[in-house]
Amino acid sequence: MLVKIVEGGKEFSLPGKAGLAVILVVLLAAILAPYISIHPHNISSGPPLVPPGGGHPLGTDELGIDLWAQLCYGARVSLLVGFGTALLAALGGGLIGIVSGYLGGWPDKVFMRLIDIMIVLPDLPVMIVLAAFFGPSLLNIIFVLALFSWVFPARIVRSQILMVKERSYIKSAETYGAGVWYLLGKHFLPEVFPLVAVNMIRLSGRAIVAEAGLSFLGLGDPTSKSWGLIIHHATNFKGIYYTDFWKWWLLYPWLALIIMVISLALISRELERMVDPRLGR
Amino acid sequence: MEYLFTIWVLVTLNFFLPRAMPGDPFLYLSADEGQEVARFSEEQRQYYLEYYGLDRPVAGQYLSYLADLLRGDLGYSLYYNEPVSAIILRRLPWTTFLVMAAVLLSTVSGTILGSLSAWYREKLLDKLLFFHLILLSEVPAFLLGLVLLFTFAAGLGLFPLSGAITHFASYSSWWEKLLDILHHAFLPVMALTIARLGGMYLLSRNSMTTVLEKDYLRTAWAKGLPQKRIIFRHALRNALLPIVTRVFLSLGSLVGGAILVENVFAYPGLGHLMREAVMVHDYPLVQGIFLVVTICVLLANFLADLVYRKLDPRIGDYSGIRGG
Amino acid sequence: MTAEQYLLEIKNLSITYHAVHPPVKAVDGVSLQLRKGESLGIIGESGCGKSTLALGIMGLLKQVGVEGEIIYRGQNLVGLPEKRLRNYRWKDMAMVFQNSLEVLNPVLSIGEQIGEPLRAHYNLSPLEIDQKVVKLLEMAGLEPEWRHCYPHQLSGGMRQRVLLAMALSCDPELLIVDEPTTSLDPASKNEVLQLLQKLQKKSGFAMILISHDLGAVKKLTSRVMTLYCGRVVELGITSEVLKNPLHCYTRGLLNSSPNFFRYKDLWGIGGEPPPGGSIEGCAFYPRCCQGEESCRQARPPLRYVALERMVACHKGGIETFLRAEGIRKKYILKEREIEAVKGVSLEIKSGEVVALVGESGSGKSTLAHILAGVLPADAGQVFFKNKKVEGRWATKMVGGMQIIFQDPFSATSHRLKVLEVVREPLDIIKWGKRDEREEEAMKALQKVQLPVSPEFLNRYCYALSGGQRQRLAIARALVTKPKLLIADEVTSMLDPSTQANLLRELKALQNRHGFAMLYITHDLHLARKIADKVYVMYRGEIVETGVSFEIFENPEHVYTKRLLREAFRDLV
Repeated sequence: MLVKIVEGGKEFSLPGKAGLAVILVVLLAAILAPYISIHPHNISSGPPLVPPGGGHPLGTDELGIDLWAQLCYGARVSLLVGFGTALLAALGGGLIGIVSGYLGGWPDKVFMRLIDIMIVLPDLPVMIVLAAFFGPSLLNIIFVLALFSWVFPARIVRSQILMVKERSYIKSAETYGAGVWYLLGKHFLPEVFPLVAVNMIRLSGRAIVAEAGLSFLGLGDPTSKSWGLIIHHATNFKGIYYTDFWKWWLLYPWLALIIMVISLALISRELERMVDPRLGR
Repeated sequence: MEYLFTIWVLVTLNFFLPRAMPGDPFLYLSADEGQEVARFSEEQRQYYLEYYGLDRPVAGQYLSYLADLLRGDLGYSLYYNEPVSAIILRRLPWTTFLVMAAVLLSTVSGTILGSLSAWYREKLLDKLLFFHLILLSEVPAFLLGLVLLFTFAAGLGLFPLSGAITHFASYSSWWEKLLDILHHAFLPVMALTIARLGGMYLLSRNSMTTVLEKDYLRTAWAKGLPQKRIIFRHALRNALLPIVTRVFLSLGSLVGGAILVENVFAYPGLGHLMREAVMVHDYPLVQGIFLVVTICVLLANFLADLVYRKLDPRIGDYSGIRGG
Repeated sequence: MTAEQYLLEIKNLSITYHAVHPPVKAVDGVSLQLRKGESLGIIGESGCGKSTLALGIMGLLKQVGVEGEIIYRGQNLVGLPEKRLRNYRWKDMAMVFQNSLEVLNPVLSIGEQIGEPLRAHYNLSPLEIDQKVVKLLEMAGLEPEWRHCYPHQLSGGMRQRVLLAMALSCDPELLIVDEPTTSLDPASKNEVLQLLQKLQKKSGFAMILISHDLGAVKKLTSRVMTLYCGRVVELGITSEVLKNPLHCYTRGLLNSSPNFFRYKDLWGIGGEPPPGGSIEGCAFYPRCCQGEESCRQARPPLRYVALERMVACHKGGIETFLRAEGIRKKYILKEREIEAVKGVSLEIKSGEVVALVGESGSGKSTLAHILAGVLPADAGQVFFKNKKVEGRWATKMVGGMQIIFQDPFSATSHRLKVLEVVREPLDIIKWGKRDEREEEAMKALQKVQLPVSPEFLNRYCYALSGGQRQRLAIARALVTKPKLLIADEVTSMLDPSTQANLLRELKALQNRHGFAMLYITHDLHLARKIADKVYVMYRGEIVETGVSFEIFENPEHVYTKRLLREAFRDLV
C-alpha cells in the first residue's frame, strides 16, 4: 500500500507532495530511532532543561533526557497508534460494512442503529472512562480508539456494497452460482479496498490526535512516551509558564504533532480526490 | 424512541464498566513512568465496595443502580466529600458556557466565511480562505489552546493563565464581574472556535456553492428580487440545512475538544473535573460526569431533530437527518 | 417600420459561454422582433440555444459574453447594470421556467414565492399581497389553500400552474415560456396549454414559447422560429411553417414529431449537431440531405423566400425537384375524346414522398408518363430542377429522374438476363467501366432483396415470377441513383414483407440523401404510412392537395372523404 501511495504521489499537487515527504521523514525517524538519536530516550543524559544546541540538538527535559531522542521514539508510538488503530478500525468496520450491506435485514438494522449511536456519542468522555477503567496500556489505547473509528469505514463499505450489489455483473455472477466468498474476493473487496485504504490515512490522523489528547490528560501509556505525553509532562511542570523552557520542551513535540497531522490530512485529501472526484472539493 | 434506547445503552454500559475491569479494580493507577501502586486508602476501598455493592447479585445491583439514577443520585465523591450530582451541577455551567460560545461563534463566522467564499468562488478571497482554513481545520483544539496560552497568556500576559474567574476578587458591579469572566473565557473559547472554524467553513462553502447553482436561485434572480433577499431568504435558508445538522452532530467531538481545552487552561468545567477525578480514582465522579455529558449531547441531538423539522418542510414524520 | 413599434427587438445577438474550453457560441447572430401581444415560438433540438436565448433576454446568464442588442421598449438591455435590469425583470418581462423539482425553492411556501415579486416591485401591504396571490392561484386553476403548501407537496402539473401564476404576478408585458409541457401527462399538458391560451387572450401579454413540442407551438403561437446551433434557420407564420417547412432542418423536426404524423413512420434527423466553436459555413451542412460542398464555404444569410417567410439556406430552402404546370392530355378513342388529364399542376420537393391517389382510371398513370417525359403533353410544362423537361435529358443521367411502370411483365424484356436488365441504363449512358456497372447493378439488386448469385444473374427474365420482375424493374430504376422516382403502383405485385423492406429502403434514401418520390397508388393505407404530401386525383383533376396529416385527418373534398371512408371502413 505504501508503494501505491508513493506511486500515486507523482500525481499529487504541491501540498500533497509536501505531506507525503513529511510522513516519509517521520517514518524514517521512527524506524531509525536507535541510530539517529545520539542520546538514550529514557534515561538522563545531561543536565536538566538545557536549551537546544550543544550536545542536545533540541535540548533536554526536567530529568535531563534528550528531547530529540524522545521525539524520535515518540514518532514510533504515534505511528503505531495511528496505523494500528486505522488498521483495526478498517478491518472491523469493513467487516461490519460487508455483513451489513451484503446481508441486509436485521444485522443491517442493528449495525445501522449502532452507527447512529456512535455518531452522536461524544467520543472523548467515553474514551476517558474506558482508559481509566481498563488501564493505560498502548494496546488498550489502540483498542479504545479503534472502537470509535470503525464507524467511518463501516459506512463507506456498506454504501459501496449496497451500490455494487445492485450492479448487473454481480447478479449475473450469482446466476452462475457464485458464492459469497467468490463475490467478496472477486468483486466486492477490489471495489471497496481503495476507498477504505484512503479512509485509513484519515483515521490514523484522527487516532494520533486522539492519542495525543488522552496522553495530554495523563491517560497515555506511561511506558511508551508519545509526543502527547511529552506535552503532558511539560505542561505539568510547575514553572513552565514563567520560564523559557516551553520554547523547546513544549514547542518541538507540539510542532511534530501539528506537522504530522496536517501532512496526513493533505495526503488523504489528495487521495480522496483521486479515488472519488466527487469528494474532492 | 431512538434516544431513550441510546440513553439506556449508555446507562447500562456505565453500570457494567467498573465490574468488567480486569483484575483488582482498585489496583490500577495511571502514575508516572509505569509504576503500579495501590494508593487507595482503606476508607476508599470500603466505600467503593459498598457503593458498587459488589457483594450482592448483579441483577439486584443493576436495579438499585437504576433506581438511584432516577432519583438523580449519582453517588458520593469521597475525594471532594460531596454528592457527585452537586459537584457536577456546580461545574456544568462553565462547560456549557464554553461549548455554547464556541458553537455560536464558529458556526456564525464559519457560515459567513464559507458563504463569502462560495459567492466569490475562484476569486482571490476564496482561494486564500480555502487554503488557510483547510490547514486550520486539521489542528486539534487543545494544541491550538496551548499556542494561545503560551503566546497571549504566558508570553504577552494579556490573559489570565488559568481559571474561569479571578479568585477572591470583589467586583464593584455585575458587569465588571462579567468582564472578568469573559476575560478568562476568551482564550479557551477562541481555541475551540478556531479549531472548529475550518470544518464549518468547508461545509458552508460546499453547501452554499451547491445552492447557488440550483434552479430555484435562477428563478429568484429572474423575479428581480433585491440581492439581499436572494442571499438570505433563498440561498442561505437552504444552505443552512446541512449546517444545522452538522452543528449538532459534531457536538460530541466539540465536547471532547472542550474537555481537553479546559485542561489546557485549567478551566473549572466538567472536563477539568473529570481529569482530576480520574487522577484521584474517584470513580463515581468519573462515571457521573460521563453520564451527564453524554446525556446532554444526546438531548441536544434530539433538539436538533425538532429544529430541523421546522426548517425543512420536506422532512415529514420520519427522522431523515442522519441518512448519509 | 420604426423600432418604437416593437415591444422587443433583438438585433444580431450572440451569446458565448467563456467558462468552457473552447468557448461555446450558444446563440449566434439572432435577430427577432416581437410586437405587443404577439406570440412567437422557438423550436429546435435540445442544445440548439433556445434556453440560452431566453435566459439571455432576461439577463440571467453569468460568465458569458453577450454581443448585439436586446431592445425592450426602445431601451437596450445589454450592458445595463444589474440594478437597472432588476426593474425590468418580472415587472416587464417574466418567465415560466422549465418545470423541474428544484425550480421552486423547497423551503419557502408557494404563497411566499408567488407573492415576493409583488413585494419587491410594488409597495403593497402583506394583506394586499395575499389577496393578489389568491387571485393568481385561482386564475391558474388552483385552490387558494395551496399557498400555504410547499413545492414538494405539488404534482408536476400543479407545479407548472404555480410557475405560471408566479410569472403573471406582476402583469408582465412579455412572457417567456420555456418547455411548459415537458414531463407532464397528456391530460395536464392539454390543460396547461389551454390555460396559457386563455390567459394570453385575457391579459394580452406578448409571448415567446420555447418548446420542442410542435403541437404546443402550433396551438399557441402565430409565428415560429427554428433555431439550429444558435442560428435562425427558418422564420415564418406558424401554420405555414408547420405545413410546408422550407428548411431541411425544420422538416426534419416535423418528421420526428409523432403528434403530427400519427400513422407515418418516425424519422429523426441523422447525425449530431456539431460541437461548440464557430462554424464557417452552413451549420446544418453535415446533416443536410441536399448539402453540397459549396455550403461549407460561407454562412447562408437569412433571406425572404416568400411573404413573411425567411430561410437561411444557400439553396433557398428545400429544393423543388419537379414542377408541372397546367398539364393536359386528351386521348382520342374512335369518335370519343377522353380528357385524361385536365390542367394539372404539381410540385415535388427534395426529400419528399408525394402520394398521388385516386381510383383506377382517374388519369394517374397518364400524368406519371407525362411527368417522366414518356408521353408528350397536349399543353403545360414540366420542370426538373427548374429546367424544362424536353427530350430525355432528365431521365438519361445519373442522379436524375426515373420512372417505374405499372406492368412488370412488359417492363422487362423476357429475353434478357437479369444482370443485363439491371445494367442496361448504365450501359446506355456509358457510365464507368463494365465491372463498375456490374457492381452497381449488384448493389441495386440487393436493395430490392433479389439474390446476386451468378446462377440468378444469368437467369432469363421469362423464368422469373411477377414479383421478381417487378423488383427487377425497380432495381433497374435505382441503378442510376435517381433523385426523383416516379413509381406507378410498383409494389402492388409484392408480398407484404418485401414491400415493407423496399419502402423502408426508399424512406432511408429519402431521409439521408434527399431522394424524392412520386408514389402513385390506390392503396391508402400505404400512402398514409409513407407520404409527406398527398395529391388526390379525380377524373383527370387534382381535387385536393395538402400535407398528408391534414388530408388524412381532415379531408375537405367530397371525393376525398368518400375515398377515405371506403378505404378505412374496416378499420374504424
